[in-house]
Amino acid sequence: MMNFALLFRNYGILLVTILLFVVLAVTADGFATERNLRNILDQQSMVIIAASFMTIAIISGNFDVSVSAIFVTAPLFGLRVENMTGNVFLAVAAALAVGLIMGAINGFIVTRLKINSFIGTLATSFMFFGAGFLVSSRSLMRPESDVYRLIARSRFLGLTSATWIAIGVVIIATILLSRTRFGRNVFAVGGNMEAARLAGVAVNRVQTTAFLLLGVAAALAGVLNSSRSISAQPSDDFSFVFAVLTAVIVGGTSIAGGQGAIWRTTTAAFFLAFLNNGFNLLQIDPIWQRLIEGAVIIMAVAVDTWTKQRRA
Amino acid sequence: MTDALTPNQLTLSGVSKTYGSIAALDDVSVTFEGGRIHALVGENGAGKSTLGKVMLGVETPDAGVLKWQGEEARFSTPAQANKLGLVGISQELSLMHDRSVLDNLSIGREKCIGPFIDHRATLRQAQQVMEQYDMTLDPRAMVGDLPVADQQRVEILRALNQEANLIVFDEPTARLEGGEARKLMSILRKLAEQGKAIVFISHFLEEVLSVADTVTILRNGQHVRTNPASEETRSSLVEGMTGAADQGQFPELPAVDENAEPLLVVSGATAAGAFEDISLTIRPGEIVGLSGLVGAGRSELAHAIYGAGRIDTGTIKLEGHQLSGHSVSDAVARGMALVPESRREQGLFMNRSILENVSLPYLNRFMSWLGLNGRQEVEEVRACGENTTLKYGELSDMVSTLSGGNQQKVLFARATLGEPRLLIADEPTRGVDVGAKRGIYDLIVGLAKEGLGVLLISSEIEEILGLSHRVVVLSRGRVMTELSGDEINENAVMSAAFGAK
Repeated sequence: MMNFALLFRNYGILLVTILLFVVLAVTADGFATERNLRNILDQQSMVIIAASFMTIAIISGNFDVSVSAIFVTAPLFGLRVENMTGNVFLAVAAALAVGLIMGAINGFIVTRLKINSFIGTLATSFMFFGAGFLVSSRSLMRPESDVYRLIARSRFLGLTSATWIAIGVVIIATILLSRTRFGRNVFAVGGNMEAARLAGVAVNRVQTTAFLLLGVAAALAGVLNSSRSISAQPSDDFSFVFAVLTAVIVGGTSIAGGQGAIWRTTTAAFFLAFLNNGFNLLQIDPIWQRLIEGAVIIMAVAVDTWTKQRRA
Repeated sequence: MTDALTPNQLTLSGVSKTYGSIAALDDVSVTFEGGRIHALVGENGAGKSTLGKVMLGVETPDAGVLKWQGEEARFSTPAQANKLGLVGISQELSLMHDRSVLDNLSIGREKCIGPFIDHRATLRQAQQVMEQYDMTLDPRAMVGDLPVADQQRVEILRALNQEANLIVFDEPTARLEGGEARKLMSILRKLAEQGKAIVFISHFLEEVLSVADTVTILRNGQHVRTNPASEETRSSLVEGMTGAADQGQFPELPAVDENAEPLLVVSGATAAGAFEDISLTIRPGEIVGLSGLVGAGRSELAHAIYGAGRIDTGTIKLEGHQLSGHSVSDAVARGMALVPESRREQGLFMNRSILENVSLPYLNRFMSWLGLNGRQEVEEVRACGENTTLKYGELSDMVSTLSGGNQQKVLFARATLGEPRLLIADEPTRGVDVGAKRGIYDLIVGLAKEGLGVLLISSEIEEILGLSHRVVVLSRGRVMTELSGDEINENAVMSAAFGAK
């Protein structure tokens, strides 16, 4: 019983995701087809890219709400550069640089001005969204060259380039977190900031780096999104960050910091994607989908809390 | 167990409590009586705190009977125990820091008129309690602004601001320094004289022997014996608690080479508001005790030397290298290591592995182009664990699964991994079992034998006296005196700590 609880606590999200996969494969026509699964991979690529680095930021002890704003605004800067120069490579570099700068602003506000990360990044969200309206002159932007759509939509071995990029990002984030000094420091800073400081860890630098990386990842996700739709539009739509946070939290990464893993987040992203996809295939009313998704989040966190208490 | 009934008598018979597969209490029978201070002693995990929680209804025993005034009492919630006047003062103070003293005292016991609080009656009641027990505090002061000793008074007053017949004090002096601890002892005495039964759970055996009437020893959840305190000595208690003969409190100190170049030289160090014009030296192989009351600037000075705290003027030299304005990583690179005051808050990552906890400051060493070299890391950490007699199952076990003494050894293992020249040990045995304390003393002395300089900070005067070659006493941020050899005794240290030159 104790062993089962421990197993469930450590690998519960994986077990549940596999279970859901099997159930849908049996019950939902068209779920376990190559085409459908390839589509899911392609659609989830953007959430997974941002969620991988959101996981690192949350483990380091900080939230970043501004991921939505970077996701929306960075590609607008990229397209502005593309429209001016016609150079897609420069466009992507500009978009990622904007993500980096926005991450740096978040890092500065949270680690130097000591503003709570939730509040600080909520505030920067409005600024970043605003920058998006400015750079796009409040209108839809399209790439001039046809090459732009190839960023996300090229195919290699049957998978889209967006999927391959997401796979690459997950691998990089996993290595960063588990095999580097930076990764160890992330866990240390989020787990016990004072102890980390006294062990000689540069606390501010570690947290700022986490913001920088997340900014770039969110910008990359935004570029892929604009490449998929061959356009970008200014907005103040916060929905992307909620999809990202949902994956991180359902995966079991502690919002208190100090605990979590990239594979958990990735698995949870697929769990949520399977859930939605299955609902669509089974033609369940979208209203019910939302209710169930909310209940799943509560359950995931409740199970996590419950198993932790039992252990203590 | 059919003793004559005395006032405020709580009898526990055959009480057992298991957590998972571990018996926290195993068939324990004890009687507590009004008018007496009854101490519970034992190592961590011996069941002292669990016994206290059973009395207060915080934990429900699996077996056994509680009788209050001869009548069987069954508590399934703390509220039921509270109603009979059984109250507790917990180890961790549980106060609302952003509320006033009055609000804290009267929470749950406000005088009301209908749904409205009768502020005046509530205040009057609180003031009455303060007067009755001679612990006067400003009822409007914010609790968070008060010193720890006063916060504890608030906690005690809160327990007294209702009918209190039996009061359990769980490690009440763990966070207090000498003078405040003595004042608390006299409060306990006063409460007992008023007929209340006092249960006193403590690690500090000297305190227990000086204040308690009766002592109960627990070991591994079992009742070893209950005796009048006058029939026990420090070593008889240790023997009862550990089941092994007391091997003497302190190891022998190695000789120090008086002519060796000093390792650490602090001169004229000042940080406004913390310490002023501090000069001290530590030679290789020398243990220098830093003593003084809480708030005298000991930890601030230690942190400044370690690069984790501010220093305005003055210089710090380690092996001839000027260090002022340095960061923690500079200090670590130059060969300093710190075992911080509070292992939970400043030292350990409780939910991470032993391996990660030990190697954190020295990860550079295990870096290759492939990332961390796991095998080399494991090897070196394992060797440090062996050197520091750390006991564990796997290096991947979470630190939270270790005992207090072993958690402390994780910090020593971390310190030794850096092969430091200077070790700063801030309260190295806080919250550590009597049996495990000796192990830590052996470690410190062993490191000094290898030629390390040690700066030892401790609120336990015995520790300072027993382990230091020299003692520097601080008071209000200044060096009051420096004692060495035969000059080191409790009187000299304490009178300097209280500010007498």
